[in-house]
Amino acid sequence: MKVDRRSFLAFVIGGAAGTALSPLPWKLTDDSSIWTQMWPWTPVPPDGGVSFADTTCTLCPGGCGITVRKVDSRAVKIEGTKGHPVNDGGICMLGLSGLQLLYGPTRIKSPMKRVGKRGEGKWQRISWSEALGILAGKLGEIRNRHEAHTVAALSGADQGTVPALFKRFMTVYGSPNFICMPAFQETEALAVKTLFGASGRTGFDIENADYILSFGSGLVDGWRSPVRMIRAAGKWHPNGITVVQVEPRFSNTAAKATRWVPVAPGTEADLALGIAAILLSQGKASGSVADMLDQRHIMKKYAPEAVARTTGISVETLMDIADGFSRAQRPLALCGRGKAQNPESLRDTAAVYLLNLLVNNINQDGGMWLFREADDISWGLPQTDAMAVAGLRQPRFDGAGSQPYADAQYLAHHLADAITTTNSPYPLQVLLVAGANPCHTLHNAEAVKSAFSQVPFIVSFSSFWDETAQMADLLLPDHMYLERYADVPVTAGLTGQIIGLCKPVVSPQFNTRHLGQTLISLSRRMGKEISEAFPWDSYETCLRKTLSTQWETLMETGVWKSPKVKRIKGNLKSGNVDFPAALAEGDASAFPLMLIPYDSLSVAAGPVGSPPFMIKAVADTVIKGKDGFVEIHPRTAGELDLKEGSVATLTTPRGEARVRVHLSHGIQPGVIAMVSGLGHMAYDEFLAGKGVNVNALIGPVADPSSGHDVAWGIRARLSNA
Amino acid sequence: MDSALIPKGLKRCPTWQFLLGLGVVGVVLAWGIYAMLLCWFKGLNQTNMNDYYGFALWIWADLAVIALGGGAFFSGLLRYIIGKDELKAIINYAVVIGFICYTSALLILAIDVGQPLRGWFIFWHANVHSMLTEVAFCLSCYLGVLTIEYIPLILENRQLNKVSFFHHLAHNMHETMAVFAATGAFLSFFHQGSLGGVAGVLYGRPFAFREGLLIWPWTFFLFTWSAAAYGPCFTLFVTWITEKITRKKLVKDNVVELLAKISGWMIFTYTIAKICDTTRWANMLAPSLGQTLSNFYTNNAFYGYWILFSEVILGGLVPAIILISPTLRKRSTWRVTALFLAIMGICLNRWVMVLQVMAVPVMPFDQWVLYIPSWQEVATTILPVAYGIILIMISYRYLPIFPQEAELNPIAPNDVPVTHGDAAVAAEPATV
Amino acid sequence: MKEERKQNPSMKYAMAIDLDRCTGCGACMVACMAENNVPFKADESNKLDSITWLRIYKLTNGKSYPDLDVCYLPRPCQHCEGHGGHSPCVSVCPATATDYSSETGIVSQIYTRCFGCRYCMAACPYHARYFNWWDPVWPEGMEKYLTPNVSPRMRGVVEKCSFCFHRYQLAKDAAYARGRTVVPEKDYQTACTQACPSGAIVFGDLNNPQHQVHQIVRPDPKNGNKSKNPRAFRLLERLGTNTKIYYLSSREWVRRAGDNYLQHEKTGAVPVPH
Repeated sequence: MKVDRRSFLAFVIGGAAGTALSPLPWKLTDDSSIWTQMWPWTPVPPDGGVSFADTTCTLCPGGCGITVRKVDSRAVKIEGTKGHPVNDGGICMLGLSGLQLLYGPTRIKSPMKRVGKRGEGKWQRISWSEALGILAGKLGEIRNRHEAHTVAALSGADQGTVPALFKRFMTVYGSPNFICMPAFQETEALAVKTLFGASGRTGFDIENADYILSFGSGLVDGWRSPVRMIRAAGKWHPNGITVVQVEPRFSNTAAKATRWVPVAPGTEADLALGIAAILLSQGKASGSVADMLDQRHIMKKYAPEAVARTTGISVETLMDIADGFSRAQRPLALCGRGKAQNPESLRDTAAVYLLNLLVNNINQDGGMWLFREADDISWGLPQTDAMAVAGLRQPRFDGAGSQPYADAQYLAHHLADAITTTNSPYPLQVLLVAGANPCHTLHNAEAVKSAFSQVPFIVSFSSFWDETAQMADLLLPDHMYLERYADVPVTAGLTGQIIGLCKPVVSPQFNTRHLGQTLISLSRRMGKEISEAFPWDSYETCLRKTLSTQWETLMETGVWKSPKVKRIKGNLKSGNVDFPAALAEGDASAFPLMLIPYDSLSVAAGPVGSPPFMIKAVADTVIKGKDGFVEIHPRTAGELDLKEGSVATLTTPRGEARVRVHLSHGIQPGVIAMVSGLGHMAYDEFLAGKGVNVNALIGPVADPSSGHDVAWGIRARLSNA
Repeated sequence: MDSALIPKGLKRCPTWQFLLGLGVVGVVLAWGIYAMLLCWFKGLNQTNMNDYYGFALWIWADLAVIALGGGAFFSGLLRYIIGKDELKAIINYAVVIGFICYTSALLILAIDVGQPLRGWFIFWHANVHSMLTEVAFCLSCYLGVLTIEYIPLILENRQLNKVSFFHHLAHNMHETMAVFAATGAFLSFFHQGSLGGVAGVLYGRPFAFREGLLIWPWTFFLFTWSAAAYGPCFTLFVTWITEKITRKKLVKDNVVELLAKISGWMIFTYTIAKICDTTRWANMLAPSLGQTLSNFYTNNAFYGYWILFSEVILGGLVPAIILISPTLRKRSTWRVTALFLAIMGICLNRWVMVLQVMAVPVMPFDQWVLYIPSWQEVATTILPVAYGIILIMISYRYLPIFPQEAELNPIAPNDVPVTHGDAAVAAEPATV
Repeated sequence: MKEERKQNPSMKYAMAIDLDRCTGCGACMVACMAENNVPFKADESNKLDSITWLRIYKLTNGKSYPDLDVCYLPRPCQHCEGHGGHSPCVSVCPATATDYSSETGIVSQIYTRCFGCRYCMAACPYHARYFNWWDPVWPEGMEKYLTPNVSPRMRGVVEKCSFCFHRYQLAKDAAYARGRTVVPEKDYQTACTQACPSGAIVFGDLNNPQHQVHQIVRPDPKNGNKSKNPRAFRLLERLGTNTKIYYLSSREWVRRAGDNYLQHEKTGAVPVPH
């Protein structure tokens, strides 16, 4: 057949018309759009049976009750538990993001041993049996050499059964070195002991106070039990509560307060004592307390004019605050900067406690409550063999409990120095780290990291790939909180004594093991002398037996509230309440600015890194790309020729960092502020490398009274980069 | 080589020159296509658009080419309905330019939407309240009309015209072209208008929002009017460029001047209307929403009062006066300057109605947001330009676009091609 | 549809957010992300392409140190009713992918219908609408926490706050199963309301005088649903968007920041188009 031009054209046109009239193009059009509606690479969450499981959140010390919504075996959403005494349905960002930690890429999925160089990130997966074998062998060998005391444990907490098991293990093993990470509770306990001569803690009846005088406490920025505090703050406005926020930076708490009083950083105690002096001089102070005090000393040293000079607050404002505080029906003074995660000086704390004493609010509605510490764990002292007794007689590696720091229980910030110095009583051979990330959260973090690199053997029990786990030799990953049982004694400034129960809401996602269980198993491999101290077949049995009286309530409601609380009377033990101050490190001439860290609810500053949801919620004036910001007053920035978003070099006596500047009228001139909790090198792409770790720029500062690391800032210099 | 396809009695550049030109523009086209494919396969993250700039460079280009393509419907209206017969000398080219503009517009839309494969939902799940629905329907219909107007032109190609069916089809289509011209004008009125409505109905955006007549905001009428006014300017401007490139006179002066004059008056009346609209908006509408002009033109790094001046005065009144004035419009330099200013003015208007709308903050605590397009956006915006140039090159070479070309450029005896049967070979290199 | 409306008087779900109570803690924002399978990417510091159905704006009074004041303003979709359901976005969507429900007053978004023209985003003065510029990707294993109640959105479509509409459906189903036709107030609460520790967010049916939100807002239907509560304001009220998020503040500068005013105009004292 001859195809001429005409028939060819007819064929083409006819074919096109025919195809268009056939169902084919229409079907293809439809199918392609249906395909876009279910692209195989867009996940479709499987449906299933919905259930709810209650447990307790342990991502911060707050102790909130959480209810986890599940679809079949998957946990899909965390919500606050309605009716829970701490949070009654409320929840914070971190708590809400817990599932990103549970299922996220930052989990350590199995026991591992290091195969590459330290910190290089080369690991080999091993079995639990092998992992425990390695650790038991190592510890046994050291113990047999009579060097048990050269093993130290660094723990994120010292309350509850898990830290108790850890302590017990260290005791029967023969090491005095159970060290807890720095915590505000230590300050609190020390202040209670020093002022009232009893061991106990404080609680604050914030819900019933009508005048709150806060010395830098981030009451809505994560202070102690964050959700409880925000719940309370929600009622400030409707109930007409006066809140005076004293701090150098305008925090969210200042925004919520009735009044913001910018104070020169580090002079909060001067202000508190100044107010005390006014109350005393005006005869407005509680008589019994006033009689105990060295009044003349306080009134002379903290006369309004002097205090005004130190703090930068006018005499008028001082008088005003003193007046408001003394006139209020239920005044309450609070301390603990930011989230109150770090210890503070005895001076700062005692001064604020004194204010509460002077207005006579101790153990009153809306006041400061004093309790004796509850002791729910009554295991009795373990049997220690001769080797243990010898080891326990050795001085502590961190120097706590002996002169010059006889009052300190733990001094974790001494670790780095003790490891690197030749003056330490003995070399550290093994460091066991649980529930803590010292390589990021201890001050002078870089020095901590380099000190750790000199420790012969580090074991991390972390659930996550944090900075410290990366420095370890052996990883024995713990379950994360949603996979395990644990008792959670909540102190955190609550007015009651509460224990929350942490229950597994999902089965362990990876080859991890409960730390309590790991310790019990480890003891079994360490010989009779040690294993006899652990008469439980599993951690669960241990927990159930230990809390047998509370167990039923705990299983039913998830929380146990102690019916009887032992109060401490607010009687001053001594007339001296003015303790030496802890000053910021650095020379003002070389470092003209003052750098202070600040806490934010959208950045987790504790041992757990911020999950992606939180980082997503962080403002672009805190992180932009990978850059972190410092807040600075426009005038100070102007003097340094810095504009909004300018890149600058921040230098402190401890380190240097590239930062951007954010100009803000919410900060004192001469002060710069940086958020805590950023600058991680570990974790995932959502967190790693973003911002600067403020803990690497600030060095530890010992409280002259206790030795605790109470650094609240450091002198700094900012230069245009 | 391709001389058999070149219209009889017309001289075209040698094939190598033509292919070289095609090649150069083709490279740009390929760059644009690469960017287009990136956008389709990787998604719109290839652009610098963001949640504040949901509409950006492309939508501006879309609105601009549609406005510039307005020359087709308005010339058609003048030629077939109003009876300005002189315009038949330029109507073909107006149709080609219009066709290019409208196909470009649709192509841009196909790249711009996040789910191109669902693009047809605009017809299937149409929301009659949406200006965009109106745009989509009228735009596609009008593109159909333009295609119908373009087809007879294609069929006039020397070889195609030999097919008697095509010859008669073309002839008959020409006969009924008035019907299509009327349909085209009708459809254009609506889609040009509804494109104006796109911004004008945004009652959440006081910068764009305009009250109006019936269901349409004033911008509806302003857009139609401006497209009719400025579209012919673009036709004339492209004609001028074509004349410069081919180094030939293609359209007689009287035709050019007539269209320029009409355009001038249209721009003039439009500008008056635009000034009235702006005055009313600035003094009544915006203040009733708590805003003043300074909210729209200050406190940012780019959008100042200059843009309003450039659009309305420099791109409106000035070209209008030049084109209205018989002495000025007769002078090529003045005329072309006016055409250029007019094109700038209309493009600026569309820019303002798309991009400035996105830039101006509405919530008092919000901020101005400026944006710089990514190279992928720029490339895909240039893509239609390259495509347009290629289509013009091909159309001009093979189709008798300009009826007056042969008359204005008589071929000298030694230029007469030697014919071998169907084929014709150019004797010597002609002009570019 | 009409039958149903006869049985059930139309509802108007609305929210009252007390800015005097809000502390800016951001729990609402993250609760929303967790509830609605909102994706995240490696860098979310460019807030212009960061999907946050509920975004918290930081408002300042513009004063210098130490007189500055700050107020946080959570901004979910405002669920504009406009005039007769013609919300700015609903009326412009060419493919009817977003709709105003006369049953609930909720502005919906159908992800599978949306073809990504983003006209609705241009129409929304609140920037409450977000485009999926990227494919949503969850790190390996993390997709386990995705809830089946809200389908993850594919690249190239617009998404926004739905007032947790899936919760309404569940509550309605539960009510019907119990033989009731009305959804009790406490049975349908949005994720942000539920999470808010300070009790700043109150959610319910504005048409129902029994509901707390009605009692707080006291809407005036004769005046474009403007609130009779002197502390209350709506964002950009004078545009006539007729939103259903009512904000409460005792601070004048905060209320003034909610709308555009000419210098001489008194805060709140402007007519509301209706």
